[in-house]
Amino acid sequence: MSVVLEVTDLRKSFGDTEVIKGINFSLNEGEILGILGPNGAGKTTTLQMLLGILTPTSGSVHVFGKDIATYKSEVLEHVNFSSTYTDLPWRLTVQENLIWSSYLYDIKDRKKRLAKIKELFRLEPLWKKQMSALSAGQRTRVNLARSMVNFPKLLLLDEPTASLDPEVATYMREFFAGQRRDFKTTIILTSHNMAEVEELCDRVLILKDGEIVGNDTPAKLAKKLEYCHLNLRIIKNATKLTTLVDHMKGSMSENDGVYTITFKEQQLPKFLNTLSEQKIAYSEISIDKPDLEDYFMSVAKGASHEAL
Amino acid sequence: MKLYRMWGIFLRYMFAFYHTLDRLADVFFWPTVDLVLWGLTSRFFISSSSNAQMLLGMLISGLVLWIFPWRAQYELGVNLLEDVWNRNLINIFATPVRFREWVMTLLSIGIAKGIISFSFAGMLAYVLYATNIFKLGIYLFPWAVIITLFGWVFGMLVTSAVMSFGTRIQTLAWTSIYIVVPFAAVYYPVSTLPGWAQTVAHYVPASYVFEAMRAAISGHPVPITALLWPTIMSLLYLGISFSVLVASYRKLLQRGLMSVE
Repeated sequence: MSVVLEVTDLRKSFGDTEVIKGINFSLNEGEILGILGPNGAGKTTTLQMLLGILTPTSGSVHVFGKDIATYKSEVLEHVNFSSTYTDLPWRLTVQENLIWSSYLYDIKDRKKRLAKIKELFRLEPLWKKQMSALSAGQRTRVNLARSMVNFPKLLLLDEPTASLDPEVATYMREFFAGQRRDFKTTIILTSHNMAEVEELCDRVLILKDGEIVGNDTPAKLAKKLEYCHLNLRIIKNATKLTTLVDHMKGSMSENDGVYTITFKEQQLPKFLNTLSEQKIAYSEISIDKPDLEDYFMSVAKGASHEAL
Repeated sequence: MKLYRMWGIFLRYMFAFYHTLDRLADVFFWPTVDLVLWGLTSRFFISSSSNAQMLLGMLISGLVLWIFPWRAQYELGVNLLEDVWNRNLINIFATPVRFREWVMTLLSIGIAKGIISFSFAGMLAYVLYATNIFKLGIYLFPWAVIITLFGWVFGMLVTSAVMSFGTRIQTLAWTSIYIVVPFAAVYYPVSTLPGWAQTVAHYVPASYVFEAMRAAISGHPVPITALLWPTIMSLLYLGISFSVLVASYRKLLQRGLMSVE
């Protein structure tokens, strides 16, 4: 599998503030990478540097083996992006915006390509409408369509499904998964929708304060959290529970008779045994294992995973 | 440079031109207003003069010829602003488009719109005041080239300023070139200016063109070779302003294209 993107010791400072602190990562052909991080973590700054519209302070970005600082034009022929930070000219129609955008790339059969894009993104009813007449969701769809005019090998998506209705968002997720499956399109996406990231991404990179604090599959990242949540509806000896939880250095909350106890996952068998020994009876039990959202929240809060 | 990319950028601005009444008005409305207002005023003031028609011809021709530098500077600054307002700058520069392709396209649009506005205003001047600027013939070409180059100088400087300071100084995109109008001697001879202003006018290439235009209208055409110095000056200024523009773009990339939006 060939390496599509290689980021080496990438740094960016604005004045005295270093916002990207020497990040390294690479991406293989056909891989979908999610970049997550709290606001101000450096996601958009990183994406801008990958697109060559922000000059790094130091470090390098190689796309298809070429340094983007030197071969920006050649590299971007096969790259595209969609961002919530951009809009297409409001007075132009959808058709006009896709026409002029298509001419920025070396496309052989432009007419055929635009017809395909129109069909793929279900743009027929919007085709002759000005951008100003579209809803936020429709504009996002047109922006996504624009990002596909050159059928890119590397696609950067900044919150691609934000403002789309659930049906269209699902269709878009399936579309991008299909692009990867059928054309080995490599995709980088940022999103605040954790379910979307878990569904689409092979690997997730977590940025915090300009540093990579996590780089793994969504499942493995979630597994790094060694705790679990046990939900119990206690029917007898509830008072003994507080002592038990304190003893196991866990935490507990109660809502409508259901106690949620958080402790290290390996303590679970011992905890259940103790419940039985101390005759603490319950009528309902469920266990929530941590997911990507829990991991993200733990990183965002800056808490130590083990302490949770 | 790739022509298809430049065509893409050209289409982006032409589609906007087609949809936007105020941009259409820029090409036809303002030249008409200038001609009607200043033409009638001038005709009133010089009506008692023995060579009224010739004086009117000089004023009107100055007005019409000024369209070239005005449009040349306008297209660069205003089109950049339009992309800033539309949050569209990244859609242009995060693509294979090279900065010089974008600049060249905007300069070409300035020429095209300049020719359209000039032709329209020239015809209007003939209809309203019986002043035929086209009678100046082949001379018009080198004059138009020099003052267009001069207009680009302002366009590039204003564009650099917008890249550096953002929309806070956006008014300059419309007005900056008018700073030089008094020294360009568009409507009066350089000799009318006070001494210090005449010195400044010597460093304004457009002043040579308008002097040459008045000489030609009064039947004393200036040899083309006399335009060598203003041409060199224009090219020198253009080189400097282009360097400033490129430096501003590089500086902008260090802050990020989003910083200007």
